[in-house]
Amino acid sequence: MAQTTPELDPGAAPVDTPYGTPSQDTYATTTEADQGSSGLPQFEFGYWPGQIFWLLIVFVILYVILSKLFLPRVGGVIEARAAKIEGDLADARTARDEAERQSSEAAAELAQARARAQKTAADAKAAAKAEAETRNAAEEAKLHERLAAAEASIQAGREQAMANVRNLAAETAEAIVEKLSGKAPTRAEVDSALSRNAA
Amino acid sequence: MKQFEIKQVLELPAVAGFDLSITNSALWMIISAATVTLFFAAASAKAAVVPGRLQSVGEMLYELIHNLTDSIIGHEGKKYFPFVFTLFAFILCMNMLGLIPYFFTSTSQLAVTATLGLLVISVVIGVGFARNGLGFFKLFVPSGVPIFVLPLVVVIEVISFLVRPVTLALRLFGNMVGGHVVLKVFGGFVVSLGALGVMGVAGALVTLTGIVAITALEFMVAFLQAFVFAVLACVYLNDVVNLHSH
Repeated sequence: MAQTTPELDPGAAPVDTPYGTPSQDTYATTTEADQGSSGLPQFEFGYWPGQIFWLLIVFVILYVILSKLFLPRVGGVIEARAAKIEGDLADARTARDEAERQSSEAAAELAQARARAQKTAADAKAAAKAEAETRNAAEEAKLHERLAAAEASIQAGREQAMANVRNLAAETAEAIVEKLSGKAPTRAEVDSALSRNAA
Repeated sequence: MKQFEIKQVLELPAVAGFDLSITNSALWMIISAATVTLFFAAASAKAAVVPGRLQSVGEMLYELIHNLTDSIIGHEGKKYFPFVFTLFAFILCMNMLGLIPYFFTSTSQLAVTATLGLLVISVVIGVGFARNGLGFFKLFVPSGVPIFVLPLVVVIEVISFLVRPVTLALRLFGNMVGGHVVLKVFGGFVVSLGALGVMGVAGALVTLTGIVAITALEFMVAFLQAFVFAVLACVYLNDVVNLHSH
């Protein structure tokens, strides 16, 4: 598009009047209308000092703003996020370890409690059995005692009855002997006679 | 090319014979820098642990350049990160704003790209001397080169170093100007084809579709060129920061 090389045309864009050239405002397409000025406007060196000057100023200002203010801020956020994620992971890890420790503790406690309960149940069973046995024994002993007492009382009754029978027999024998011989025998004679017969 | 024309916006008195008036180019540099500042002010305003959209974009750009300085320059890259980031953000913003119709593209001015290229190489030379003293010149003397070809290699190294700012400037300048010219030429086609009747309108529509596609491409180029500029600044800085490892 550069039909005349602007570098070789020192009069085209004089340094002292750089703003004189862009005058034609009627352009429709990319035709020769654009090329009225001397080729690419980039090579009009009269505009260079201003651009270079402002570029350096703007660049330095932007550099200071970014390096002192925004880049540390953005970097800080990224680092804070990394630290937070790291911290959260560490927290989660410790929490998990704690949970595992607690669960194993709980399992141990449960086993202990179960053992204790089994022991208690066994003890209670044994105690109940022992008590029942002692009660049974006591009951039996009481029964035995009552049985013995009853037997004794029966024995006594029987002896009493036998004594009564002997007395009755002695009195009957006295009466019979008195009636037959007219002479009452002494009690000692009757007793000896009864003893002899009873033997 | 009307769209690249420099116009005076605010006349200032000449200093030492140089006209330092604010032109549309300077105005758009200021607007771009202000946009970058406002963007990061908004993006870092909340400083939330869970970022919003704006903050996410800000952090993405930050980490993009941070990873760049970290991976290319290494541990020392931290020091040069603000400089590279400012370059990247500033160029990116100027490129992007320039794609909006009626906005001016400061990076389509060779004065701007050449200054940026020279700025990078000046910083590289300054850092090189500050860190290595006269050892900076070892940059041009690669180790392990046979002595009889060394002079030739040194000459080549010096030339390649001197060409760096030129390539930096011309790459950015060429990409920006080229993109805008292509868009302009295609836009001209649409107008002139549209005036030719039914067939012309059909052709104009095809061209218009092309313009939309190229505009998308230009957004990518705008980002890519800013990124390339930042990458090369890192590479050149790395040369002088880690000079001993060459």
